[in-house]
Amino acid sequence: MGLLVRLGNAAGTAGIATILLIAFGLQFGLQELPCPLCNLQRVAFVLCGFGFLLNLRFGVQPLHYGLTLLGALFGLVVSGFQALLYIAPGTAAHGVPVLGLHLYTWSLILFFAVITCVAALMIFSGRPEHHNTDHQAALRFHGVYRLAAYLLIAATLANAANSFLLCGPADCPDNPTGYWITNHLPT
Amino acid sequence: MTGLIFLAAAIAMMTALAGYRGVAIGLFGMSAVAAVLWLDRYMTEPLKLSF
Repeated sequence: MGLLVRLGNAAGTAGIATILLIAFGLQFGLQELPCPLCNLQRVAFVLCGFGFLLNLRFGVQPLHYGLTLLGALFGLVVSGFQALLYIAPGTAAHGVPVLGLHLYTWSLILFFAVITCVAALMIFSGRPEHHNTDHQAALRFHGVYRLAAYLLIAATLANAANSFLLCGPADCPDNPTGYWITNHLPT
Repeated sequence: MTGLIFLAAAIAMMTALAGYRGVAIGLFGMSAVAAVLWLDRYMTEPLKLSF
């Protein structure tokens, strides 16, 4: 059961990284720049992934699941708020629908899915791995677990760069039409 | 600002991989609080698209 839970946490980490990479793909493929709330939903996914990553590195503990749940709750608030902005009939929605749903609706569904997955992992986790030393946990942190963690860190760093190029050090426009950096490059 | 939040989260993850769990969770807390404050900024000033 322990192996299954560890694989579940690796899948969670890799899954969050994949979501972030798909968001990148849509950003560049559809030429759809992320709004400030969209960026905050990406932040929420990163916060969710952090708890999964801690489980991989330090062993499965309720504290780590709690951090993931906090990230998912934050994401639910952000994506729910954005969905409510456009829920009134006749209100122009933001962005292009993907498979019939807007990205903030997909986010809402995915944050519910994260909470459901964490609940399932907690049910199957059994006793927390407090008895394991940090050294033991570090020894088991290899292969696919390490790859999933590196993938999440790479996706997070890419988002940091993307966010800075898009918005600069200050506010992002509500509906960005271009990258901030293009206005500050020497001609 | 969101760029800095992402950066803090990435540093938190790298710190965790290096074995410093307390520092990593502290950085996570800082980025989470910054994200909430940044969201509050957009919730008190609704987007124009909401009209």
